[in-house]
Amino acid sequence: VAKTSLTSPPWPEVKLPDPVEEAKYHAEVVQKVNKMIATGQYGRLFAVVHFASKQWKITSEDLIMMDNVLEAECGDRIRMEKVLLVGADDFTLIGRPLLGKDLVRVEATVIEKTESWPKINMRFWKRHNYQRTKIIMNPQTVLRINTIEIFPCLS
Amino acid sequence: MVLLSAPRWLRSRLTDRFWRVQEVLKYARHFRGRKNRCYTLAIRSVRRAFVKSTKARREKKRFLRALWITRIEAASLEHGLKYPAFISNLLKSQVELNRKMIADLAIYEPKTFKSLAALAQRRRQEGFLAALGDGKEPEGIFSRIVHHY
Repeated sequence: VAKTSLTSPPWPEVKLPDPVEEAKYHAEVVQKVNKMIATGQYGRLFAVVHFASKQWKITSEDLIMMDNVLEAECGDRIRMEKVLLVGADDFTLIGRPLLGKDLVRVEATVIEKTESWPKINMRFWKRHNYQRTKIIMNPQTVLRINTIEIFPCLS
Repeated sequence: MVLLSAPRWLRSRLTDRFWRVQEVLKYARHFRGRKNRCYTLAIRSVRRAFVKSTKARREKKRFLRALWITRIEAASLEHGLKYPAFISNLLKSQVELNRKMIADLAIYEPKTFKSLAALAQRRRQEGFLAALGDGKEPEGIFSRIVHHY
């Protein structure tokens, strides 16, 4: 068959590495990271957490403010379970989409429950004598992230 | 003697006009020109300012998303990937980080972003290989060579 513009695909030809060798390499990397976590050779950990329908990039001693009410009293310790990503200087653990609960532990304390500053919602049509003003104050909660811990249970 | 209606010499006159005017002027104090001092000009500017801020609160979300997308595109081009390839392959590998997070990681955690780009690139290559299938060409109809004997 003659060669046309559609004989070969428009992307350059790709060769994937050998699966057996790749599996060995992956196992090596996982063991290394496990050892690093077990010996504690990481500095500051950061985590990406899904909380209050938003994603936050947090570290320890971090303040977070969300625009809604949390059903916990001030001073309660909270554990955030939906962790998407955890990273340190030398390694990152990416969840697909979430990381296991036995791998990461993120703790936070509720500090403050206030209302936001009065935001003004105004609708105005000119020459029609139509003017509506509404003052909205959303409830807000402030959390302090206490710790992020990881445990060496990778496989 | 009980009077059922008030006499005509009793008038109810506005006593707190000053505070009603100050309520509007306090929102106009940082404006430019006479509209930060004169009530008639100020009330017009303050109304427009409130309406604009209400509408802007809805558009801020669109604007920020476009900004994140621009930043992710720039960062992924540094690693040799285009934005649609990057995002689609990340989603296919079940990594559900939103654009705000990826943009923040690209700014503050460059090593993590590099690993995400490598993940997307690898998934892309696997997708190409899966699309090729067997690697055999289908038998053509118009490209069949006809022998005239």
